[in-house]
Amino acid sequence: MAPRVVVLSLASDFGCQVQITNTEDHLLTILGLIELSYWQLASSGHMPDEYDVAIVEGAVTTDEHAHLLRDVRGKAAVVIAIGACATIGGIPALAGSGSLADRYATVYGDGVIVPAVRRAPAPVDSVIHVDYHVPGCPIDQSEFLRVLSRVLLGLVDHTPDMTMCGSCKIAENVCFFDSGVGCLGLVTRAGCGAKCPSLGRPCTGCRGIAPDANVVSALEVFERAGGGADALRSALDVYNTASEVHV
Amino acid sequence: MANLTVEHVARIEGHGNISVSVEEGVVRDIQMDVVEPARFFESMVVGRRFEDAPLITSRICGICSPNHALTSIKAVEAALGVEVSERTRLLRTLLVYGSYLQNHATHLYVFAAPDFVGLPNIFPLAQTHPDVVGRALKIKKLGNELCNLVGGRSVHPVTAVVGGFTSEPSSRDLSAMRARLRDIVGDALATVDLFASFKVPDFDTAGEMLALTSPTEYAIYDGDVTALDAGWTRPAADYHDTLRESIVGHSNAKHSTVGGRPFLVGAVARMNLNAQRLGARGRDALEASGLVLPTRNPFHTHVCQAVELVDAAERCAGYIDRLIGSDGSSEPVAVDVSAGTGAGATEAPRGTLYHSYSIGDDGLITKGDVITPTAQNLANLEADMRAFAPTVADRPREEFVLLIEELVRSYDPCLSCAVH
Repeated sequence: MAPRVVVLSLASDFGCQVQITNTEDHLLTILGLIELSYWQLASSGHMPDEYDVAIVEGAVTTDEHAHLLRDVRGKAAVVIAIGACATIGGIPALAGSGSLADRYATVYGDGVIVPAVRRAPAPVDSVIHVDYHVPGCPIDQSEFLRVLSRVLLGLVDHTPDMTMCGSCKIAENVCFFDSGVGCLGLVTRAGCGAKCPSLGRPCTGCRGIAPDANVVSALEVFERAGGGADALRSALDVYNTASEVHV
Repeated sequence: MANLTVEHVARIEGHGNISVSVEEGVVRDIQMDVVEPARFFESMVVGRRFEDAPLITSRICGICSPNHALTSIKAVEAALGVEVSERTRLLRTLLVYGSYLQNHATHLYVFAAPDFVGLPNIFPLAQTHPDVVGRALKIKKLGNELCNLVGGRSVHPVTAVVGGFTSEPSSRDLSAMRARLRDIVGDALATVDLFASFKVPDFDTAGEMLALTSPTEYAIYDGDVTALDAGWTRPAADYHDTLRESIVGHSNAKHSTVGGRPFLVGAVARMNLNAQRLGARGRDALEASGLVLPTRNPFHTHVCQAVELVDAAERCAGYIDRLIGSDGSSEPVAVDVSAGTGAGATEAPRGTLYHSYSIGDDGLITKGDVITPTAQNLANLEADMRAFAPTVADRPREEFVLLIEELVRSYDPCLSCAVH
C-alpha cells in the first residue's frame, strides 16, 4: 500500500509547499508513489485520523501548533520538517526576542491583548522528535525530492555537517571576505551548492549553523575582514535567533 | 440549516475559517475568520539595516515573494532617494510577471478549476484530462523559470537587491526564454477559453475597486492608484492617507476601507481600470472571452487572470527584446544613506501591495508598514459573503458551503500575506 502522506503548515509563508508544487516535472511521479491524504493548499478534505508520513512546514508559535504536533507524532511513523521555519525557527524566530506585547503594539496598536496561547517561535523538533530535516528558505526542490525518496525507500538521510565554504570553492566563486564583505557561508550548513554566493550575494544562513562550524574562527574572520563581530551577530539573527550559538 | 463553520478552507494560501450564523433558517451573519497567527514582520524589520528589509519581508509570502521583495526594495529606494536604471526596471517587471504566470496558473488550475469540475483537487485530471493538466504545469513552470532566470529562484528571489541586481541573465538565456514566452501565448489563450466557458454565479460586489494605473502601460511594477467609482487618481505613496485600516475581533488580519467603503483589488479591478492598456493579444483574448467591462462580479477574477496570462506572455517577450537590444547595466547603484521615509507599491497577482519604511541616518529601520492585497480585500470579501449567502441559502448544505468557498477562492486570498 502506498504510504499515506499529510502536508501541514504552522507559522510560515507557505513557500516550501509552493516549492513542492514547483517540482512540476516530478510532481505527478511523486503523487503516483504516495497516497496524498491531506494537503490544505492543494485539495479539499479533512485531516484524516490515520497516516504514515507527515510533512511539516513552519515554526511553532502557539499552543495549538504544539498540540497538533504531538497529535501528529502519535500517528505518523515518519515526520519530515521542511524549511528554515520548521528546522531552525527561521524568520518567525526573529520576532522571538523582547516583549511580545511590544510587538503586538507595533503591529496592532496599543491596548491589544496578547493571546495566552502565543509562544516564543521555535522549530518543530523543540516539541517533537523529527525524523528527517530539509533545511533552507525556501527548501531546494532536488533536496526535498532526495529526502522524500529516501523516506519512501526507508533509507536514512543525512544533511551535510560541513560548512558551505567548500561548495563555494567548487563553484569557483570569489570569496566575499576578499572585498571586506561578511558572508555566513563560513558557518552555514552546506548542501545548497552555495546558491546565493554563486549569484553574487553573500550567504544569509538560511540552512542553519553547520555542526562542523568553527564559530570562534568565524568571529575572527569577521573581525578581520567582514565588518566585525556585530555584523556576524546581526547576520545570524535573521535565521538563527533560535539556535544556541553565542558569538 | 443550522450554524456552520468551515475550518481551514482548502485551496487558498494560509489558514482561515468561514463561520455562518443562521437563525430560523435565515443567514444572519457570515465571517471570514483569519486564524493564521501573526508573525510580526513590521516589528521584525525595526532596528535592522535597510538592506535586510527585502530579504526579511519577502518571507511574508512564499507564493508572491517576488512582489514583496520588489515592493520592499522600492520603498527603501524611495526612502533613501535611490534612482535605478531602466534596465533594472525592465528586469524587475519581468520578475513580477514571472510571478504572475506562476501564481495565476496555480490559482486558476490548482485552486479554482476543481470547483468547476466537482473534484477535491486537480490531480485526478492528470488521468482524465492530461492536456489540461499539462497546460497548467507548462504555464506555471514557465513562470517559475522566468523568476529563476531573472531572480535566481522563483520563491524568494536572490539577485534583486536595493539599487539593482547582483547577477543578470545572459542574452542567450533571455533569447531562449523569449521563444518560450511566445510559444505559451497559445496555452494562455486556451486558458481564457476554458475559464470563459465555466458558468459562474451572477453576483455583483457593492465595493469600490482600486488598482495601479499608468498612462503608458498596463500597470504592474509602477503607477498611481485609481479608484473606479470615485474616479480619482492619487500617488501610491500616499496610501496611508487613502486607506483606513482597522482591527476586527475575528481576524488576525486587519480590514481596510477607502472613503468609508470596502473595496476590491486584484485582477478584476486591474482589468476594469487598465484594459485599454492591454497589448494586442491581450485585447483579442479579452474580446474572445466575451467579458463586458466594467464588471463588478468577483467571480470574473478567473477570466481576468487568464487574460493577464496572455498579456504577460506577450509583454515579457517585448521586454526581453528591449533588454537584448540595449546595453545599460543593472549592477546595484551606490546608496548614500541619510534619514528618510518612503513607500513603494506594485501590483501583486492578488492586487496592490504597499510597503513603507522610515530609515535613520545610521541606515537602521525605525518603522515599517505593509498592507497586502488580501488584507485590503477582506472587508469586501465579507461584505460580498453577506450579500451572496442569502441568495444561495436555499441550496442543500453541501452546495451552499461550496458556493461560499468558491466566492472566497475567487478572491484568491493569501491569508499568511494578510496577517504577516
